[in-house]
Amino acid sequence: MNGRWIPLLGAFWRLNLAEELQYRANFVASVLGTLFSMATALLTLSLFFHHTTSLGGWDYWEIVVLLGVFNALTGVIEAVLRPGIGELAGEVRSGELDLVLVKPVDAQGFVSFRRLDIWRFTDVVLGLALAGYALTRLGRIPSLAQLAAFALALASAAVVVYAIWVVLMSLAFWFVSVENIAVLFDAVYEGARYPVSAYPGALRFVFVYLIPIAWTTTIPASALTGRLRPEIALAAALVAGLAFALSRALWRAALKRYAGASG
Amino acid sequence: MIKRYAALIRNAWLVDLQYRASIVLWLLWGVTEPAIALGIWWAIAGDGSVAGYARADFARYFFAVMLINQLTIAWDSWYLDRWIREGELNYRLARPLHPAHEAVAENIAYKARTASVILVVWLLVAAAWPAVRLPLDPGRWALTLVAVLLAAAMRFFISFTTGLLAFWTTRATAIMELHAGVSLFLAGRIAPLALLPPAVAGVAGALWFRSMLAFPVDLLTGAVHGADAIVRGLASQVVWLGIWIVAYRIAWSRGIRKYGAVGG
Repeated sequence: MNGRWIPLLGAFWRLNLAEELQYRANFVASVLGTLFSMATALLTLSLFFHHTTSLGGWDYWEIVVLLGVFNALTGVIEAVLRPGIGELAGEVRSGELDLVLVKPVDAQGFVSFRRLDIWRFTDVVLGLALAGYALTRLGRIPSLAQLAAFALALASAAVVVYAIWVVLMSLAFWFVSVENIAVLFDAVYEGARYPVSAYPGALRFVFVYLIPIAWTTTIPASALTGRLRPEIALAAALVAGLAFALSRALWRAALKRYAGASG
Repeated sequence: MIKRYAALIRNAWLVDLQYRASIVLWLLWGVTEPAIALGIWWAIAGDGSVAGYARADFARYFFAVMLINQLTIAWDSWYLDRWIREGELNYRLARPLHPAHEAVAENIAYKARTASVILVVWLLVAAAWPAVRLPLDPGRWALTLVAVLLAAAMRFFISFTTGLLAFWTTRATAIMELHAGVSLFLAGRIAPLALLPPAVAGVAGALWFRSMLAFPVDLLTGAVHGADAIVRGLASQVVWLGIWIVAYRIAWSRGIRKYGAVGG
């Protein structure tokens, strides 16, 4: 691996930014869409809490903190990961991936981060704002240690999400017809909207160990509200490192299957 | 006409066959939402019940939602949006057959494939788990079939008509997503309507949302009691289907005129 892809990406992103700035109406549409989906999520939660006082041991505002984290991560996914993967499936099928592979850069890094949908970064801001508001409603001011743990857990969460995403991208090499592979992620990630403790035992096991989405929202939110001790962030970082290593190994194996199709 | 439809459905079936993996993905996506909702209600109900719904009732409800949502869902607004934006509508208009027939045939092929998978899964699960078994009641199943056909027809016209808005705006699919967000509550995807605040459930019943999904689901699980309630539910479905057909006819005739003017 070499680091040459980083300045290259910088250039790509500048072009991207210039392109996106032409379509400022998209910014308004994107913010409205985010507010709508946040409102839907809060209404759903209110409906559940209309019939109960706690969900998996969490009360209403604690889950709103979690929803804020969920939204912030959704922003990262929509801004960075989704724009790139759409192209990959098509390139594997048509053989255009050759053009990426011959570039003197790390293919995984390049394929993952080459396109940005910058407007969706507002989701990160809105999500963190929601989490902050919920914290004040809880009347809890996080300590410095909790904030640091939250930051580390959130960064780990982004890495875990990325690792899951790389696994999906690798699948595109086996199932060439899969254009909608991102749908698979959406389906699983729906489960991250609620604390894992709310799910029945078998499902909880899946979300913690097999498809580790529990580490993406439940753990950072727990660190922020003080439900778990700050040390949990170190465990989160460990999980993130492991997930990243596994996903990279799978990506390598997948790339070996790619024979190229152009010429 | 029957021969034409047979050919169209066969064609759509073969096209889908090439994209088997994609269809499995969409199927999975359609199943996770009710599965997660079931998981949450399962936790809330505990050993008691919520507004008369115990755990087993929730299980039956959401299994019925999975099946009936798959049977009635329509993706046509996304297709229409693309046809109109990218000009793929042009050659479809040149055919001696209205483009809506192709869309109907695609719906039939897609639903036959995906819904039968869900039905088989349901039967397998029911063999092991009594909670999701339905009482043997062929009369009720026949009525459900009628309600599902009406709901599928209505959701087709809603989706198709909304897609036609692409003649005027580039955000037709965004409007459809908005509709999907509202129907999350009003059509009963996240909870049985009986669990919503009465005023909200009233709105769902007065508009077309209950007819889309919640009514056929409640009919299947037995939550709708009495001939009177069944007749009223079916009547509401027929009325709203009629209204959406009228909306479709208006949007189609105006849109085509506009489209022709632009295409020159």
